[in-house]
Amino acid sequence: MTGDPDRPMAPANGDDSPTDAQEFARLRSLLVGREQAELERLRREIRDRTLTAENVGRHLPEAIALRAESDDQLARALMPTLEDAFTESVQRNPQQIAQAIYPTLGPAIRKAIAEAIGGIVEGINRALEEGLSVRGLKWRIEAWRSGVPYAQVVMKHALVYRVEQAYLIHAETGLLLSHVTAPDLAAPDADVIAGMLTAIRDFARDSFAAGTDGGLHAFRVGDLSVIVEAGPRALLAAVVRGHHPPALAERLQETLELVHLQFAGPLARFSGDAAPFESARAILAECLETVVDTSGKTHRGLVPRLAWVAVFVALAFVGYILIASQIKWRRALATLRAEPGLVVLDAHRGLRTWHLQGLRDPLARPASVVLAGLGFDTSRVHETWAPYISADPGVVLRRALRVVTAPKGVELSIAGDTLIATGAAPVDWIDALHARVAAIPGIGAVSDTRLTVILPLAVQPVADSVAASHVFFETGSSRLSDAAQAMLRGLGGSLRTIEASLGPAWRAELDVVGRTDTTGSEQLNRALSDDRARVATDFLLHAGIQTTRPAPRGIGTTNPLPAQTLEERARVNRSVSFAVRVRRAEPGGERKQ
Amino acid sequence: MIQKKVCMVGVFATGKTSLVRRFVHSKFSDQYLSTVGVKIDRKPVRVKEQDVNLLLWDLEGRDGAQDIQTSYLRGSSGVLYVVDGTRRETLVQIAEIHELVSKSIGDVPSAIALNKADLTSAWIINDGDRAELGKRPWHVFETSALTGAGVERAFVWLAEQMGSVAS
Repeated sequence: MTGDPDRPMAPANGDDSPTDAQEFARLRSLLVGREQAELERLRREIRDRTLTAENVGRHLPEAIALRAESDDQLARALMPTLEDAFTESVQRNPQQIAQAIYPTLGPAIRKAIAEAIGGIVEGINRALEEGLSVRGLKWRIEAWRSGVPYAQVVMKHALVYRVEQAYLIHAETGLLLSHVTAPDLAAPDADVIAGMLTAIRDFARDSFAAGTDGGLHAFRVGDLSVIVEAGPRALLAAVVRGHHPPALAERLQETLELVHLQFAGPLARFSGDAAPFESARAILAECLETVVDTSGKTHRGLVPRLAWVAVFVALAFVGYILIASQIKWRRALATLRAEPGLVVLDAHRGLRTWHLQGLRDPLARPASVVLAGLGFDTSRVHETWAPYISADPGVVLRRALRVVTAPKGVELSIAGDTLIATGAAPVDWIDALHARVAAIPGIGAVSDTRLTVILPLAVQPVADSVAASHVFFETGSSRLSDAAQAMLRGLGGSLRTIEASLGPAWRAELDVVGRTDTTGSEQLNRALSDDRARVATDFLLHAGIQTTRPAPRGIGTTNPLPAQTLEERARVNRSVSFAVRVRRAEPGGERKQ
Repeated sequence: MIQKKVCMVGVFATGKTSLVRRFVHSKFSDQYLSTVGVKIDRKPVRVKEQDVNLLLWDLEGRDGAQDIQTSYLRGSSGVLYVVDGTRRETLVQIAEIHELVSKSIGDVPSAIALNKADLTSAWIINDGDRAELGKRPWHVFETSALTGAGVERAFVWLAEQMGSVAS
């Protein structure tokens, strides 16, 4: 024999006789009997274990069903495992779960959305209806006439709603499960009504919305509304008098959910016996209520009013902004147009910006500076200015002032195209003024007639001595004495000295003034003084000495020269006096020194 | 109280509404008013020492089975098929209607009312028809809404059957 691998090796003699075999078996049992038994037990156990799994597999569904019937221990025990399994499954393959629950999820979401939107729309409708409708207006008038607050009028008319009846109806059979009626109302034929409501829902769905999950949700009969909320196993119908808020449907739905939760078993097993639903009456009774919604409605009345006020304020504000902006714009344009050296050719306004285009003298103030001076935000001004030379007096003056700086005591001004200098100025400045100003665009002439010439210091004493010179006459006479003639000739030298110091453009001339004493009539004295002046002038001209024109000039006894005594005063005033006048040789008029 | 929904089906003018009227209100009117949609009535009966509220769904009679609105049948515990003994086609249609009812709500206790028993002289239902009816799982009653004969019996029998089916 080759030997059974399970058995120990036979003794070496190799004899296979039965006696030997028995002997060997005995020996074996003696040697390894205990191990053999142990081995057999283990084998059986392995075999039994397979058996047990099969048995369990066979009986598991029944076992679960049995246990589930007796209590909910099994569900509780399995719950964590199931939750874990579900989570795991969703994590691994969310698509599968999504596909599995899609058929229930879709309609549920649609229904939730539809109801939410329905609620919103109804709320908006109600607010519009009561806020702006003719009825709302009527109530307002009533409130105004009666002096009762609007909120109370609204409450009196429409704010009270009342849930008068509630029906809990078995969805499949249309049989009545439970029913409550407001205490003061007669009990209706509730079971027939429940049946008819179901039939009406079926009819409506079959007729208008066949194949969809939706159903008749609400309908109105006169003052009454019937709201029907549908659940998987039961319907909840409420009969409401008056205007109910959208929230009522939500509350009914919640009540229905509660019923489904509390009566899950009885609903599933229902076969016509409504007794288990007796306790549902308490839940339904909570739906029966007379609600006076004070807060909501006054609010609703207030909202449109506030909205109108807000709209009015907004319009007024916008109007104010527009008008103020227009006024500002016009003021700005007027200022710019009046500004010397600025010519506005095009101006328009954007939404926030201003666009200006035109001509600007480089010496004119920039438009932005002008606008900033008026208090405008110049960052919003877009301006384009082309340069030009302005003949505007203001700009011309500015231009002149850039060329000639007026010394202290001199003021420059513009009249037409003439630059007028006023005050007292030295000779060389007057020369410079004439020389430079001629080149300034916009200036046609320079007038220095109002300008007093300040002589150079060196020749001022000469001029003073001329002013102190007098030609004296006998009473009533205008004849020049020899001394007087000599003095007159001497004046020519003084003039030449002055002219030499002034330069070639200047002429020095003598201003001759004749006077008389107070003897005789004024008329005679005036004629006599004229004579004296003319005599002196003629002599000077004859001697080649310039006098001012028109000459001569007698002033009689007006403006007499002062003296200590009457006699002395008469003597000094029977005279001719002189003053040096310097002028530029070109036309410009004479000026006094 | 136990409630049971019973549907009355059959083609038009077989007397469904009249049977309900007789059963519920003990009245008869020879005016024919066609039912539109469905009309529901209630009749409490006492069956096996128990009060049962029968809710009778009187379905609009149409031309044939295809016109029956099956949604009205849902949740029905029993069906009363109504046949006009004087119009054979109402009997012929019943088989088809029965198929439809079975298909939509399964097999529920059913009875057939051969109505207008007061006009038996005008009946055109023969023994062959009766034998054919006997093959179906329903009990046949001869009823007359006019005289009230057989009406109570038919409804009460149906109520008993439904009671025995219900748990």
